[in-house]
Amino acid sequence: MTDQQQSQQHRPRLWAIGGGKGGVGKSVISSGLAMALAARGERCILFDADLGGANLHTFVGMPHPQHTLSDLFSHKANTLEEILLPTPFPNLSLISGARAQLDMANPAWLQKIKLIRQLTTLPADHVFVDLGAGSSFNMLDFFLAAQNGLLVLMPTPTAIENTYHFLKASYYRRLRQVIRHFEAESLVDAALAEKVQSGIRSPKELLLDLLQRDPLLAKKLQQAMNKFTPKLVVNQVQRSEDRELGGKMVTASRDFFGIDMGEPAIIRNDDRVLIALKARRPVLEMFPGGPFAEDIRRLLSLMFPVKEKTHGQG
Amino acid sequence: MDRDDLQRCYLLLGLTPDASLREVETAYRQLSELFDEASLATYSLLDYADRQEKLESLQVAFNTIAQARICLLPQDEPLPVDSDAAPSDPRATPGLHLQQHRERLGLSLQDIADRTKIGRYHLQNIEAQNYEKLPAAVYLRGFVREFARAVNVTEIDNVIEGFIAATRQASDSD
Repeated sequence: MTDQQQSQQHRPRLWAIGGGKGGVGKSVISSGLAMALAARGERCILFDADLGGANLHTFVGMPHPQHTLSDLFSHKANTLEEILLPTPFPNLSLISGARAQLDMANPAWLQKIKLIRQLTTLPADHVFVDLGAGSSFNMLDFFLAAQNGLLVLMPTPTAIENTYHFLKASYYRRLRQVIRHFEAESLVDAALAEKVQSGIRSPKELLLDLLQRDPLLAKKLQQAMNKFTPKLVVNQVQRSEDRELGGKMVTASRDFFGIDMGEPAIIRNDDRVLIALKARRPVLEMFPGGPFAEDIRRLLSLMFPVKEKTHGQG
Repeated sequence: MDRDDLQRCYLLLGLTPDASLREVETAYRQLSELFDEASLATYSLLDYADRQEKLESLQVAFNTIAQARICLLPQDEPLPVDSDAAPSDPRATPGLHLQQHRERLGLSLQDIADRTKIGRYHLQNIEAQNYEKLPAAVYLRGFVREFARAVNVTEIDNVIEGFIAATRQASDSD
Protein backbone atom coordinates (compact mmCIF):
# COMPACT_ATOMS: atom_id res chain seq x y z
CA MET A 1 0.00 0.00 0.00
CA THR A 2 1.36 3.42 -0.92
CA ASP A 3 1.59 6.27 1.55
CA GLN A 4 -1.10 8.09 -0.33
CA GLN A 5 -3.56 5.21 -0.11
CA GLN A 6 -2.76 4.85 3.54
CA SER A 7 -3.40 8.49 4.34
CA GLN A 8 -6.63 8.37 2.32
CA GLN A 9 -7.80 5.41 4.33
CA HIS A 10 -7.41 7.33 7.53
CA ARG A 11 -9.27 10.34 6.35
CA PRO A 12 -12.30 11.03 8.49
CA ARG A 13 -15.76 10.58 7.07
CA LEU A 14 -17.48 13.94 6.66
CA TRP A 15 -21.06 14.36 7.79
CA ALA A 16 -22.93 17.59 7.05
CA ILE A 17 -26.17 18.46 8.77
CA GLY A 18 -28.09 21.17 6.95
CA GLY A 19 -31.60 22.00 5.91
CA GLY A 20 -31.94 25.71 5.38
CA LYS A 21 -34.32 26.49 8.20
CA GLY A 22 -33.16 27.65 11.61
CA GLY A 23 -34.47 26.05 14.77
CA VAL A 24 -35.42 22.70 13.23
CA GLY A 25 -32.94 20.74 15.35
CA LYS A 26 -29.77 20.61 13.25
CA SER A 27 -27.45 21.20 16.21
CA VAL A 28 -29.19 18.86 18.62
CA ILE A 29 -29.18 16.15 15.94
CA SER A 30 -25.52 16.65 14.96
CA SER A 31 -24.39 16.61 18.57
CA GLY A 32 -26.62 13.58 19.26
CA LEU A 33 -25.22 11.64 16.32
CA ALA A 34 -21.62 12.52 17.24
CA MET A 35 -22.15 11.52 20.88
CA ALA A 36 -23.81 8.22 19.95
CA LEU A 37 -21.03 7.38 17.52
CA ALA A 38 -18.29 8.42 19.99
CA ALA A 39 -19.93 6.09 22.50
CA ARG A 40 -19.35 3.29 19.98
CA GLY A 41 -15.61 4.00 20.19
CA GLU A 42 -15.25 6.02 16.98
CA ARG A 43 -13.21 9.23 17.25
CA CYS A 44 -15.61 12.05 16.47
CA ILE A 45 -15.24 15.78 16.01
CA LEU A 46 -18.12 18.22 16.07
CA PHE A 47 -17.48 21.19 13.81
CA ASP A 48 -19.68 24.22 14.31
CA ALA A 49 -20.08 25.74 10.86
CA ASP A 50 -22.77 28.13 11.97
CA LEU A 51 -20.31 30.90 11.31
CA GLY A 52 -21.52 33.88 13.23
CA GLY A 53 -24.15 32.15 15.38
CA ALA A 54 -22.15 29.35 16.94
CA ASN A 55 -23.60 27.60 19.98
CA LEU A 56 -22.82 23.94 19.48
CA HIS A 57 -20.76 23.86 22.68
CA THR A 58 -23.97 24.35 24.68
CA PHE A 59 -25.38 21.12 23.23
CA VAL A 60 -22.49 19.12 24.65
CA GLY A 61 -22.64 20.88 28.01
CA MET A 62 -19.61 23.13 27.63
CA PRO A 63 -19.23 26.81 28.51
CA HIS A 64 -18.30 29.24 25.75
CA PRO A 65 -14.92 28.03 24.56
CA GLN A 66 -11.75 30.09 24.71
CA HIS A 67 -10.59 28.92 21.31
CA THR A 68 -12.81 29.20 18.29
CA LEU A 69 -12.65 29.56 14.53
CA SER A 70 -12.12 33.28 15.14
CA ASP A 71 -8.58 32.40 16.21
CA LEU A 72 -8.01 30.84 12.83
CA PHE A 73 -9.48 33.74 10.89
CA SER A 74 -7.45 36.27 12.94
CA HIS A 75 -4.30 34.14 12.54
CA LYS A 76 -3.92 33.51 16.28
CA ALA A 77 -4.03 29.86 15.33
CA ASN A 78 -2.68 28.30 12.16
CA THR A 79 -4.52 25.01 11.92
CA LEU A 80 -7.86 23.55 12.91
CA GLU A 81 -6.05 21.07 15.09
CA GLU A 82 -4.82 23.90 17.32
CA ILE A 83 -8.36 24.93 18.19
CA LEU A 84 -9.63 21.40 18.71
CA LEU A 85 -11.24 21.22 22.17
CA PRO A 86 -11.82 18.13 24.27
CA THR A 87 -15.39 17.65 25.51
CA PRO A 88 -16.47 15.94 28.75
CA PHE A 89 -17.12 12.80 26.66
CA PRO A 90 -14.56 10.25 25.52
CA ASN A 91 -13.72 10.21 21.79
CA LEU A 92 -15.58 13.47 21.23
CA SER A 93 -13.90 16.79 20.42
CA LEU A 94 -15.30 20.11 19.36
CA ILE A 95 -14.28 22.89 17.03
CA SER A 96 -16.31 25.88 18.03
CA GLY A 97 -17.65 28.37 15.54
CA ALA A 98 -16.54 31.93 15.35
CA ARG A 99 -17.67 34.53 17.84
CA ALA A 100 -19.84 37.25 16.39
CA GLN A 101 -17.63 39.51 14.36
CA LEU A 102 -18.16 41.59 11.32
CA ASP A 103 -17.88 39.48 8.12
CA MET A 104 -17.36 36.29 10.06
CA ALA A 105 -20.43 34.63 8.59
CA ASN A 106 -18.96 34.91 5.10
CA PRO A 107 -15.34 33.84 5.06
CA ALA A 108 -13.50 34.48 1.84
CA TRP A 109 -13.65 31.75 -0.75
CA LEU A 110 -10.03 30.74 -0.22
CA GLN A 111 -10.52 30.51 3.54
CA LYS A 112 -13.50 28.22 3.01
CA ILE A 113 -11.64 25.94 0.62
CA LYS A 114 -8.78 25.72 3.13
CA LEU A 115 -11.23 24.94 5.91
CA ILE A 116 -12.87 22.12 3.98
CA ARG A 117 -9.47 20.67 3.06
CA GLN A 118 -8.32 20.83 6.67
CA LEU A 119 -11.47 19.11 7.90
CA THR A 120 -10.55 15.99 5.95
CA THR A 121 -7.09 15.85 7.52
CA LEU A 122 -8.24 16.06 11.14
CA PRO A 123 -7.16 13.20 13.41
CA ALA A 124 -10.58 11.53 13.68
CA ASP A 125 -12.80 8.87 12.20
CA HIS A 126 -15.76 11.20 11.72
CA VAL A 127 -16.30 14.94 11.46
CA PHE A 128 -19.83 16.24 11.93
CA VAL A 129 -20.34 19.61 10.30
CA ASP A 130 -23.27 21.42 11.83
CA LEU A 131 -24.39 23.96 9.24
CA GLY A 132 -26.16 27.20 9.98
CA ALA A 133 -29.48 28.23 8.53
CA GLY A 134 -29.77 29.44 4.96
CA SER A 135 -28.58 28.20 1.58
CA SER A 136 -25.52 30.39 1.08
CA PHE A 137 -22.68 29.05 -1.03
CA ASN A 138 -20.69 28.52 2.16
CA MET A 139 -23.29 26.16 3.53
CA LEU A 140 -23.73 24.41 0.18
CA ASP A 141 -20.02 23.79 -0.28
CA PHE A 142 -19.67 22.20 3.14
CA PHE A 143 -22.73 20.13 2.38
CA LEU A 144 -21.46 18.98 -1.03
CA ALA A 145 -18.04 18.11 0.40
CA ALA A 146 -19.58 15.64 2.85
CA GLN A 147 -20.02 11.91 2.19
CA ASN A 148 -23.10 11.88 4.42
CA GLY A 149 -25.43 14.82 3.89
CA LEU A 150 -28.46 15.15 6.15
CA LEU A 151 -31.35 17.50 5.50
CA VAL A 152 -33.21 18.25 8.70
CA LEU A 153 -36.72 19.67 8.72
CA MET A 154 -39.85 19.84 10.81
CA PRO A 155 -43.28 19.03 9.40
CA THR A 156 -44.15 22.67 8.78
CA PRO A 157 -44.62 24.55 5.49
CA THR A 158 -41.81 27.01 6.24
CA ALA A 159 -39.32 24.25 6.99
CA ILE A 160 -40.40 22.33 3.88
CA GLU A 161 -40.00 25.45 1.80
CA ASN A 162 -36.46 26.05 3.11
CA THR A 163 -35.60 22.37 2.63
CA TYR A 164 -36.61 22.38 -1.02
CA HIS A 165 -34.74 25.63 -1.50
CA PHE A 166 -31.62 24.11 0.04
CA LEU A 167 -32.07 20.91 -1.98
CA LYS A 168 -32.47 22.80 -5.25
CA ALA A 169 -29.56 25.13 -4.52
CA SER A 170 -27.20 22.28 -3.62
CA TYR A 171 -28.42 20.11 -6.52
CA TYR A 172 -27.85 22.87 -9.05
CA ARG A 173 -24.44 23.71 -7.58
CA ARG A 174 -23.39 20.09 -7.88
CA LEU A 175 -24.90 19.83 -11.37
CA ARG A 176 -22.92 22.85 -12.48
CA GLN A 177 -19.72 21.30 -11.11
CA VAL A 178 -20.49 18.02 -12.87
CA ILE A 179 -21.30 19.76 -16.17
CA ARG A 180 -18.02 21.65 -15.98
CA HIS A 181 -16.12 18.50 -15.08
CA PHE A 182 -17.41 16.61 -18.12
CA GLU A 183 -17.23 19.71 -20.34
CA ALA A 184 -20.90 19.35 -21.19
CA GLU A 185 -21.68 23.08 -21.26
CA SER A 186 -22.63 23.27 -24.93
CA LEU A 187 -24.86 20.20 -24.71
CA VAL A 188 -26.75 21.61 -21.73
CA ASP A 189 -26.98 25.07 -23.28
CA ALA A 190 -28.50 23.57 -26.42
CA ALA A 191 -31.11 21.71 -24.38
CA LEU A 192 -31.94 24.74 -22.26
CA ALA A 193 -32.33 26.92 -25.35
CA GLU A 194 -35.21 24.68 -26.45
CA LYS A 195 -36.44 24.17 -22.94
CA VAL A 196 -39.95 25.48 -23.55
CA GLN A 197 -40.52 23.51 -26.77
CA SER A 198 -39.27 20.27 -25.21
CA GLY A 199 -41.30 20.84 -22.06
CA ILE A 200 -38.35 20.70 -19.66
CA ARG A 201 -39.60 21.77 -16.25
CA SER A 202 -37.31 19.89 -13.92
CA PRO A 203 -33.75 18.57 -13.64
CA LYS A 204 -35.05 15.07 -14.31
CA GLU A 205 -36.64 16.16 -17.56
CA LEU A 206 -33.47 18.02 -18.50
CA LEU A 207 -31.38 14.86 -18.06
CA LEU A 208 -33.92 12.81 -20.05
CA ASP A 209 -33.69 15.38 -22.83
CA LEU A 210 -29.88 15.26 -22.73
CA LEU A 211 -30.01 11.47 -23.06
CA GLN A 212 -31.63 11.86 -26.48
CA ARG A 213 -29.09 14.45 -27.61
CA ASP A 214 -25.92 12.74 -26.43
CA PRO A 215 -26.53 9.42 -24.67
CA LEU A 216 -22.88 8.83 -23.74
CA LEU A 217 -22.24 12.20 -22.15
CA ALA A 218 -25.69 12.39 -20.55
CA LYS A 219 -25.16 8.98 -18.92
CA LYS A 220 -21.97 10.28 -17.32
CA LEU A 221 -23.79 13.32 -15.97
CA GLN A 222 -26.60 11.11 -14.71
CA GLN A 223 -24.23 8.72 -12.96
CA ALA A 224 -22.44 11.58 -11.27
CA MET A 225 -25.70 13.16 -10.14
CA ASN A 226 -27.03 9.84 -8.86
CA LYS A 227 -24.39 10.09 -6.16
CA PHE A 228 -26.16 13.14 -4.79
CA THR A 229 -28.33 11.42 -2.20
CA PRO A 230 -28.84 13.53 0.91
CA LYS A 231 -30.81 11.88 3.67
CA LEU A 232 -34.09 13.49 4.71
CA VAL A 233 -34.54 13.72 8.49
CA VAL A 234 -38.00 14.74 9.67
CA ASN A 235 -37.70 16.01 13.23
CA GLN A 236 -40.40 16.60 15.86
CA VAL A 237 -42.76 14.07 14.35
CA GLN A 238 -46.05 13.84 16.25
CA ARG A 239 -48.88 12.70 14.03
CA SER A 240 -49.28 9.99 11.43
CA GLU A 241 -49.35 12.50 8.57
CA ASP A 242 -45.99 13.84 9.83
CA ARG A 243 -44.64 10.31 9.46
CA GLU A 244 -45.78 10.10 5.86
CA LEU A 245 -44.36 13.50 4.96
CA GLY A 246 -40.77 12.32 4.50
CA GLY A 247 -41.72 9.48 2.16
CA LYS A 248 -43.85 11.81 0.06
CA MET A 249 -41.02 14.33 -0.20
CA VAL A 250 -38.67 11.56 -1.30
CA THR A 251 -41.17 10.55 -4.01
CA ALA A 252 -41.60 14.15 -5.14
CA SER A 253 -37.82 14.63 -5.24
CA ARG A 254 -37.38 11.49 -7.29
CA ASP A 255 -39.98 12.85 -9.67
CA PHE A 256 -38.47 16.33 -9.82
CA PHE A 257 -34.71 15.75 -9.56
CA GLY A 258 -34.55 12.10 -10.54
CA ILE A 259 -32.51 11.39 -7.39
CA ASP A 260 -33.18 8.66 -4.87
CA MET A 261 -32.79 9.84 -1.28
CA GLY A 262 -33.86 6.49 0.16
CA GLU A 263 -35.89 5.94 3.29
CA PRO A 264 -36.37 9.17 5.20
CA ALA A 265 -35.47 9.18 8.89
CA ILE A 266 -38.01 10.07 11.54
CA ILE A 267 -37.27 11.62 14.89
CA ARG A 268 -40.22 11.70 17.25
CA ASN A 269 -41.16 14.78 19.16
CA ASP A 270 -39.67 14.55 22.66
CA ASP A 271 -40.20 17.18 25.34
CA ARG A 272 -37.05 15.98 27.09
CA VAL A 273 -34.95 17.64 24.40
CA LEU A 274 -35.99 21.04 25.71
CA ILE A 275 -35.53 19.99 29.33
CA ALA A 276 -31.98 18.84 28.60
CA LEU A 277 -31.20 21.98 26.63
CA LYS A 278 -32.37 24.17 29.50
CA ALA A 279 -30.17 22.15 31.85
CA ARG A 280 -27.36 22.66 29.27
CA ARG A 281 -26.72 18.96 29.15
CA PRO A 282 -26.74 16.60 26.13
CA VAL A 283 -30.08 14.85 25.63
CA LEU A 284 -28.37 11.52 25.05
CA GLU A 285 -26.58 11.74 28.39
CA MET A 286 -29.56 12.98 30.38
CA PHE A 287 -32.28 10.83 28.78
CA PRO A 288 -30.49 7.93 27.06
CA GLY A 289 -33.67 5.85 26.92
CA GLY A 290 -36.00 8.54 25.58
CA PRO A 291 -37.58 8.61 22.11
CA PHE A 292 -35.10 11.21 20.84
CA ALA A 293 -32.04 9.18 21.89
CA GLU A 294 -33.61 6.03 20.48
CA ASP A 295 -34.36 7.62 17.12
CA ILE A 296 -30.89 9.19 16.90
CA ARG A 297 -29.29 5.78 17.45
CA ARG A 298 -31.60 4.25 14.83
CA LEU A 299 -30.66 6.96 12.31
CA LEU A 300 -26.99 6.40 13.09
CA SER A 301 -27.12 2.65 12.60
CA LEU A 302 -28.93 3.29 9.32
CA MET A 303 -26.21 5.61 8.05
CA PHE A 304 -23.25 3.89 9.67
CA PRO A 305 -24.03 0.30 10.59
CA VAL A 306 -22.17 -1.22 13.52
CA LYS A 307 -19.38 -3.40 12.22
CA GLU A 308 -16.39 -5.24 13.54
CA LYS A 309 -13.57 -2.84 14.21
CA THR A 310 -10.80 -3.12 11.68
CA HIS A 311 -8.06 -1.44 13.70
CA GLY A 312 -4.69 -3.05 13.50
CA GLN A 313 -5.09 -3.84 9.83
CA GLY A 314 -3.20 -2.02 7.06
CA MET B 1 -49.80 7.95 -30.73
CA ASP B 2 -46.73 5.78 -31.03
CA ARG B 3 -45.11 3.33 -28.71
CA ASP B 4 -42.63 5.95 -27.44
CA ASP B 5 -45.45 8.24 -26.37
CA LEU B 6 -47.10 5.44 -24.46
CA GLN B 7 -43.76 4.54 -22.89
CA ARG B 8 -43.39 8.14 -21.76
CA CYS B 9 -46.84 8.06 -20.15
CA TYR B 10 -45.87 5.04 -18.06
CA LEU B 11 -42.58 6.71 -17.12
CA LEU B 12 -44.44 9.80 -16.00
CA LEU B 13 -46.47 7.67 -13.61
CA GLY B 14 -43.30 5.96 -12.42
CA LEU B 15 -44.38 2.66 -13.98
CA THR B 16 -43.41 0.23 -16.73
CA PRO B 17 -45.82 -1.02 -19.40
CA ASP B 18 -46.34 -4.31 -17.57
CA ALA B 19 -48.18 -2.53 -14.74
CA SER B 20 -51.76 -3.58 -14.16
CA LEU B 21 -54.60 -1.15 -14.77
CA ARG B 22 -55.13 -0.96 -11.01
CA GLU B 23 -51.47 0.02 -10.49
CA VAL B 24 -51.87 2.69 -13.15
CA GLU B 25 -54.92 4.07 -11.35
CA THR B 26 -53.23 4.03 -7.95
CA ALA B 27 -50.09 5.74 -9.24
CA TYR B 28 -52.17 8.40 -10.98
CA ARG B 29 -54.24 9.08 -7.87
CA GLN B 30 -51.24 9.22 -5.52
CA LEU B 31 -49.18 11.48 -7.78
CA SER B 32 -52.14 13.80 -8.37
CA GLU B 33 -52.55 14.10 -4.61
CA LEU B 34 -48.81 14.62 -4.14
CA PHE B 35 -48.70 17.48 -6.63
CA ASP B 36 -52.03 18.98 -5.63
CA GLU B 37 -52.05 22.66 -4.70
CA ALA B 38 -52.96 21.71 -1.12
CA SER B 39 -50.20 19.11 -0.67
CA LEU B 40 -47.76 19.92 2.12
CA ALA B 41 -45.10 17.51 0.85
CA THR B 42 -44.56 19.47 -2.39
CA TYR B 43 -45.11 22.91 -0.92
CA SER B 44 -42.93 25.40 -2.84
CA LEU B 45 -41.25 22.67 -4.92
CA LEU B 46 -43.08 23.87 -8.04
CA ASP B 47 -44.48 27.26 -8.91
CA TYR B 48 -48.14 27.62 -9.83
CA ALA B 49 -47.76 27.23 -13.59
CA ASP B 50 -45.40 24.24 -13.35
CA ARG B 51 -47.71 22.59 -10.86
CA GLN B 52 -50.72 22.99 -13.17
CA GLU B 53 -48.71 21.61 -16.07
CA LYS B 54 -47.55 18.71 -13.96
CA LEU B 55 -51.09 17.83 -12.94
CA GLU B 56 -52.25 18.13 -16.52
CA SER B 57 -49.49 15.87 -17.81
CA LEU B 58 -50.40 13.26 -15.18
CA GLN B 59 -54.00 13.36 -16.35
CA VAL B 60 -53.02 13.07 -20.01
CA ALA B 61 -50.73 10.13 -19.19
CA PHE B 62 -53.48 8.36 -17.30
CA ASN B 63 -56.08 8.94 -20.01
CA THR B 64 -53.70 7.82 -22.75
CA ILE B 65 -52.83 4.59 -20.98
CA ALA B 66 -56.43 3.88 -20.05
CA GLN B 67 -57.51 4.45 -23.63
CA ALA B 68 -54.78 2.25 -25.04
CA ARG B 69 -55.79 -0.47 -22.62
CA ILE B 70 -59.51 -0.38 -23.23
CA CYS B 71 -59.87 1.21 -26.63
CA LEU B 72 -61.25 -2.05 -27.94
CA LEU B 73 -64.41 -1.30 -26.01
CA PRO B 74 -66.51 0.57 -28.56
CA GLN B 75 -67.60 3.99 -27.48
CA ASP B 76 -70.97 4.31 -29.23
CA GLU B 77 -72.69 0.98 -29.69
CA PRO B 78 -71.66 -2.11 -27.82
CA LEU B 79 -70.68 -5.02 -30.01
CA PRO B 80 -72.39 -8.32 -29.42
CA VAL B 81 -70.15 -10.38 -27.21
CA ASP B 82 -72.31 -13.39 -26.37
CA SER B 83 -71.22 -16.51 -28.19
CA ASP B 84 -74.73 -17.28 -29.37
CA ALA B 85 -74.89 -14.20 -31.56
CA ALA B 86 -74.90 -14.77 -35.27
CA PRO B 87 -71.35 -15.03 -36.59
CA SER B 88 -70.26 -11.85 -38.30
CA ASP B 89 -69.23 -11.73 -41.92
CA PRO B 90 -65.46 -12.26 -42.26
CA ARG B 91 -65.20 -9.95 -45.24
CA ALA B 92 -67.59 -7.13 -44.24
CA THR B 93 -66.61 -6.92 -40.56
CA PRO B 94 -63.29 -8.75 -40.28
CA GLY B 95 -62.35 -7.18 -36.91
CA LEU B 96 -65.57 -8.26 -35.29
CA HIS B 97 -65.17 -11.71 -36.82
CA LEU B 98 -61.78 -12.09 -35.11
CA GLN B 99 -63.08 -10.69 -31.82
CA GLN B 100 -65.99 -13.13 -31.76
CA HIS B 101 -63.70 -16.09 -32.37
CA ARG B 102 -61.31 -14.88 -29.69
CA GLU B 103 -64.04 -14.39 -27.11
CA ARG B 104 -65.59 -17.73 -27.91
CA LEU B 105 -62.27 -19.29 -26.91
CA GLY B 106 -62.23 -17.20 -23.73
CA LEU B 107 -58.93 -15.59 -24.65
CA SER B 108 -57.84 -12.05 -23.82
CA LEU B 109 -55.97 -9.79 -26.20
CA GLN B 110 -52.93 -10.28 -24.00
CA ASP B 111 -53.20 -14.03 -24.55
CA ILE B 112 -53.20 -13.47 -28.30
CA ALA B 113 -50.31 -11.03 -27.98
CA ASP B 114 -48.34 -13.64 -26.04
CA ARG B 115 -49.02 -16.34 -28.62
CA THR B 116 -48.46 -14.32 -31.77
CA LYS B 117 -45.79 -11.92 -30.47
CA ILE B 118 -47.82 -9.13 -32.06
CA GLY B 119 -48.16 -6.05 -29.85
CA ARG B 120 -51.47 -5.63 -28.11
CA TYR B 121 -51.72 -2.15 -29.57
CA HIS B 122 -51.95 -3.58 -33.08
CA LEU B 123 -54.28 -6.37 -32.04
CA GLN B 124 -56.64 -3.84 -30.48
CA ASN B 125 -56.66 -1.74 -33.61
CA ILE B 126 -57.22 -4.78 -35.79
CA GLU B 127 -60.23 -5.83 -33.74
CA ALA B 128 -61.62 -2.32 -33.53
CA GLN B 129 -61.03 -1.87 -37.28
CA ASN B 130 -59.15 1.35 -36.65
CA TYR B 131 -57.95 1.40 -40.22
CA GLU B 132 -56.00 4.64 -39.97
CA LYS B 133 -53.91 3.19 -37.15
CA LEU B 134 -53.07 -0.10 -38.82
CA PRO B 135 -49.63 -0.81 -40.27
CA ALA B 136 -48.85 -1.02 -43.98
CA ALA B 137 -50.54 -3.79 -45.98
CA VAL B 138 -47.46 -6.03 -46.06
CA TYR B 139 -47.34 -6.15 -42.27
CA LEU B 140 -51.09 -6.15 -41.86
CA ARG B 141 -51.47 -9.36 -43.89
CA GLY B 142 -49.04 -11.17 -41.62
CA PHE B 143 -50.55 -9.83 -38.44
CA VAL B 144 -54.11 -10.71 -39.42
CA ARG B 145 -53.07 -14.19 -40.56
CA GLU B 146 -51.35 -14.89 -37.24
CA PHE B 147 -54.26 -13.49 -35.26
CA ALA B 148 -56.81 -15.51 -37.26
CA ARG B 149 -54.82 -18.72 -36.83
CA ALA B 150 -54.54 -18.16 -33.10
CA VAL B 151 -58.32 -17.99 -32.73
CA ASN B 152 -59.12 -20.85 -35.16
CA VAL B 153 -60.72 -18.77 -37.90
CA THR B 154 -61.39 -20.96 -40.95
CA GLU B 155 -61.93 -18.26 -43.59
CA ILE B 156 -58.54 -16.64 -43.07
CA ASP B 157 -58.18 -15.33 -46.61
CA ASN B 158 -61.58 -13.68 -46.50
CA VAL B 159 -60.68 -11.88 -43.27
CA ILE B 160 -57.43 -10.66 -44.78
CA GLU B 161 -59.18 -9.51 -47.95
CA GLY B 162 -61.76 -7.70 -45.83
CA PHE B 163 -58.99 -5.72 -44.08
CA ILE B 164 -57.05 -4.96 -47.23
CA ALA B 165 -60.16 -3.73 -49.06
CA ALA B 166 -61.24 -1.59 -46.13
CA THR B 167 -57.80 0.00 -45.58
CA ARG B 168 -57.59 0.79 -49.30
CA GLN B 169 -60.98 2.42 -49.09
CA ALA B 170 -60.01 4.34 -45.97
CA SER B 171 -56.85 5.73 -47.56
CA ASP B 172 -58.67 6.57 -50.82
CA SER B 173 -61.27 8.62 -49.04
CA ASP B 174 -58.55 10.78 -47.48
